[in-house]
Amino acid sequence: MIYSLQHCDQCGTCIAVCPADALMLGEFKVIVDHKACTECGICVKMCPIAALEVKHGD
Amino acid sequence: METNWDVIVVGGGPAGLFAAWEIAKAGKSVLLCERKREMGVPIRCAEASGDVDLNKYVKVEERWISARSDTFILVLPNGKEVKLKSDLYSGFVLNRDLFEYDIAAKAVDAGAKIIMKTNVIDIIKDEDGHAMGVKVLEFGKEHEYFASVVIAADGVESRIAKKMGVNTTLKAKDIEPCVQVTASNVNVKENALYIYIGTGYAPGGYAWVFPKAGNCANIGLGINGKYASTEKHAKDYLDEFLNKFFPDISIQKYSTGGVPVSTNLEILAKENLLIAGDAGRMVNPLNGGGILHAVESGISAGKAAAEACKDPKHLDKIFKKYEKDIYKKIGKNHESQYRIKEVVYQMTDEDYNRIGEEVLKIDENKRTFLRIFSQVVKHRPEFLIDVTRAFTGI
Repeated sequence: MIYSLQHCDQCGTCIAVCPADALMLGEFKVIVDHKACTECGICVKMCPIAALEVKHGD
Repeated sequence: METNWDVIVVGGGPAGLFAAWEIAKAGKSVLLCERKREMGVPIRCAEASGDVDLNKYVKVEERWISARSDTFILVLPNGKEVKLKSDLYSGFVLNRDLFEYDIAAKAVDAGAKIIMKTNVIDIIKDEDGHAMGVKVLEFGKEHEYFASVVIAADGVESRIAKKMGVNTTLKAKDIEPCVQVTASNVNVKENALYIYIGTGYAPGGYAWVFPKAGNCANIGLGINGKYASTEKHAKDYLDEFLNKFFPDISIQKYSTGGVPVSTNLEILAKENLLIAGDAGRMVNPLNGGGILHAVESGISAGKAAAEACKDPKHLDKIFKKYEKDIYKKIGKNHESQYRIKEVVYQMTDEDYNRIGEEVLKIDENKRTFLRIFSQVVKHRPEFLIDVTRAFTGI
């Protein structure tokens, strides 16, 4: 599963590239809609400050 | 508060603010929803803009200008500086937060209503699928607002257009993840904009140093999305760049952003919805500049929305005209720029160094773009074919 981390700046880069429309800006960080997310991982790569991570085995 | 409006604008960046201002000036009621808690903050931008260009749309006020610039300095991969002083260019580095504060005030003076900390979470559609309002979280509470027209000016992260069925998803190669610091103790010339080229510093992009008043500067870089990886993010590249060139600065602010380097969206109007600014991908794909296009598309969208409210029978026609006008003013040029971008990215550090050496032989005051271009072609004849293709679209 993909998680956004506390140091997220809400720049929106991940949202612009998400092909599943699974991300949105929240009050403090990006919110991942785990039902919509296909775990393609493009958001993790694109984040300018490494504020998204993949955790396996959840 | 009033539930029904003539127009709802989603997003209070330059595109949304200028749209709301225009609508209010035309005597129509307009509600602007801004997600953030403070107008213009945090900025996600390097803040450089052309002087003449912005003045076409609004009288530029002194307090928006942090520093004026009349020179470009291109720093080659080998470290040599190529100075491009041009009569064609006079610009400045803005205080974009102040700029947005003031435009917001002007819009409100003209009659617009702005609500902050209001996150638009959905579009409300009528039975025919036309936009007729928005669902928002305003200080965490759900509300609905209704309007004849909705303008999506919700930035690079735009989801409003997507909810109306417009595909806005950018491919990796069509976005530049960027990081920037605003720092003091920079020690560069205040009147110059510095661009550093090098696949080592910023693959598929460039690093910039845009001086602001008081020995400060915005120093940042963007890499092309296709070079982004989980091992090395834009910030890792910036850390290396700062260590190498600016080890003694004092960092006062970090900004993060994604810059679209695609062509404009083809669909900019759909079923009572207009799209403006970064949400419509109206950024120059070669240099990443977007402030001006946000302003001009915001004004055009505002005009179209107000006109459609006065003459709802012809809404479709008015909106088609908006789409066409934006293509003529912005989109068409960006298609050429995009083709050039695709070519420039193939150039190696060696190419840049060699071309730079030749340009350095030209007298500083005679470095016109044509002369530089002829040097480029001399060293990379195939570039002529590519650029011809870029301009003609063949």
